[in-house]
Amino acid sequence: MSRRAAASAARGAAVAALALSAGGPLLLLLLWSVSRDWFFPALLPPALAGDAWEQLAGGSALARAALTSAALALLCGAGAALVAFPVGRAIARLRGWRRHVGAAAAFLPVAAPPIALGTGLQFFFLTLGLGGTAAGVLLAHLVPAAGYLSLYFLGIFTAFDARVEDEARTLGASPAQLLVRVTLPMLRRQLGEAFALGFLISWSQVALTLLIGGGVVRTLPLEVLAYVRAGQDRFAAAGALALTVPPLLALAAARFAARRTAVVAA
Amino acid sequence: MSDRVSDGPNDRAPARVPEHAPALRVVGLTVPFGDQPGLADLSFAVDAGERFVIVGSSGAGKTTLLRAIAGLASVTAGTVAVGGRDVTRLPPERRDAVYLHQAPVLFPHLRVLDNVLFPLRVRGVPSPVARERALQALAAVRMEGYAARDPRTLSGGQRHRVALARAVAARPALLLLDEPLASLDPSLRDDVREAIVSIQREHRPALVLVTHDLDEAGLLADRVAVLVDRRIAQTAPPAELFARPATLAVARFLGVANEVAGRLCDGGRFECPLGVLRPGAAHGPAGSAVAVFRPEAARLTADSSGAAGHVVALRHRAHGTGALVRVGAAALEVPVPAGRPPAVGDAVHVAVDDAQVVVFPTEPGAAGA
Repeated sequence: MSRRAAASAARGAAVAALALSAGGPLLLLLLWSVSRDWFFPALLPPALAGDAWEQLAGGSALARAALTSAALALLCGAGAALVAFPVGRAIARLRGWRRHVGAAAAFLPVAAPPIALGTGLQFFFLTLGLGGTAAGVLLAHLVPAAGYLSLYFLGIFTAFDARVEDEARTLGASPAQLLVRVTLPMLRRQLGEAFALGFLISWSQVALTLLIGGGVVRTLPLEVLAYVRAGQDRFAAAGALALTVPPLLALAAARFAARRTAVVAA
Repeated sequence: MSDRVSDGPNDRAPARVPEHAPALRVVGLTVPFGDQPGLADLSFAVDAGERFVIVGSSGAGKTTLLRAIAGLASVTAGTVAVGGRDVTRLPPERRDAVYLHQAPVLFPHLRVLDNVLFPLRVRGVPSPVARERALQALAAVRMEGYAARDPRTLSGGQRHRVALARAVAARPALLLLDEPLASLDPSLRDDVREAIVSIQREHRPALVLVTHDLDEAGLLADRVAVLVDRRIAQTAPPAELFARPATLAVARFLGVANEVAGRLCDGGRFECPLGVLRPGAAHGPAGSAVAVFRPEAARLTADSSGAAGHVVALRHRAHGTGALVRVGAAALEVPVPAGRPPAVGDAVHVAVDDAQVVVFPTEPGAAGA
């Protein structure tokens, strides 16, 4: 085998290993979600069952948890983008030490481990009567999500061509017209990405949901965790697979929408 | 500008501008440069339809001044009036003044026609009227065939022309251009300069343009203002400015290359190593003084008339060669006749056209003083 052929084969093997490491667990989960009485040393499940997926599709606890998760994530994605857009823009316009302080403030909820953040928020939220409520969980999810997205928008607005806004103002656009006719359309893709990021942060949140929701607010990750602890592998696998759907969709959307970022003037 | 009328419910421009009011009047304007002292106590006026060019070296505050007029930079004192209306405290969108950056700034998410429609739409101009005006503006810059194009596909010169069309589409009283030709290749400059002049003639906004390029100022301006040491040192039509700089600092900024120290005598005579000159203009009292003149005002004589000197260097430029001639303590640049350049070290004689000489009182640092 020539050296070139050997290098090509090595590259192929590396890509195959990567694909297997990413796809293998997903395939295994898929198999597990429809298997019945599948124990060691059997290589394949002796029997198949679709009840886990039926539960996920029907009105079971798993389905309700998936709906709760989706609702929280949608609101979190939209809310965090709404909050972070002006915050990131404001920090980007600061200069000197003020900018560093602003960026550090946005970074704090991102850097803090969720368990530490949740413990800190718990007391505060209980005082406000938000413990064990969906609203409390949503607000808790918003804290790290808004932090992440503020940093995201800080990067966007640092690269954003401020001359565009200057020129639009002198052409007669009021601040509201500037936002609606120039800034938002120019950042449409970035806003979509921010929403997806906020959605995913909430979608995969466990510690904050557990600490603020107090077990009353049941989301999909909590249900999956409960099924794992109860040894109900088929339901845990179906739930886990459902958890991977939004991230995969977001990845696909990002891949297909990856066009030129129009944050500078033409 | 008296034909300007409101076109729509949100057209915030004044319905009519008084005929007698200048398009722009700046009085005592003081603009800081961040924490540093900036432009101080500037005053000038620009008439409707006039092309007013402000020149100054890099960092002199030209862009800051334009931004202050446009409402994009804060001022600490003074007033800005557009069409007789005090706009000092108004936001940029209510000043009736459009500011164009050095490099054209087109909205990347809008097609060319929609870019030009932008100022009309935000003013609430009805669609058919807006479309007609936008197409007219594009036609004025020869870009009507590009209406449906994505602005990112245009060349630099084309973008400039679309930006100009968009700026005049709303028929502002004032157009503020920040070094519009600076980022262009020489081949494109003529094209964009022609577009500026043509569109300004057609729509008649007052035009305030800043540049550090004196040729550009001379080609575009009805009047030129020179910004020196944070103040306007002189305002004059280009021919007058280049012929009669008001101060030594202005003369130096204008690149009037030759300076000769001497003595200004009663009766306007100027005694110096070049002999006794009768300058075209003389400022200040009799006494120690500096005469300045352009290289074109001097010539090498073939017949030993004029002052004797010797060539110390040759300067080759795109538009011709000059000899640096030492006459006494002064080093003068003198154009060299094509095809007959002297050699370094040659003895030559220099004569000066007195009428093109301007004399100023001696200032510290004057060459040859």
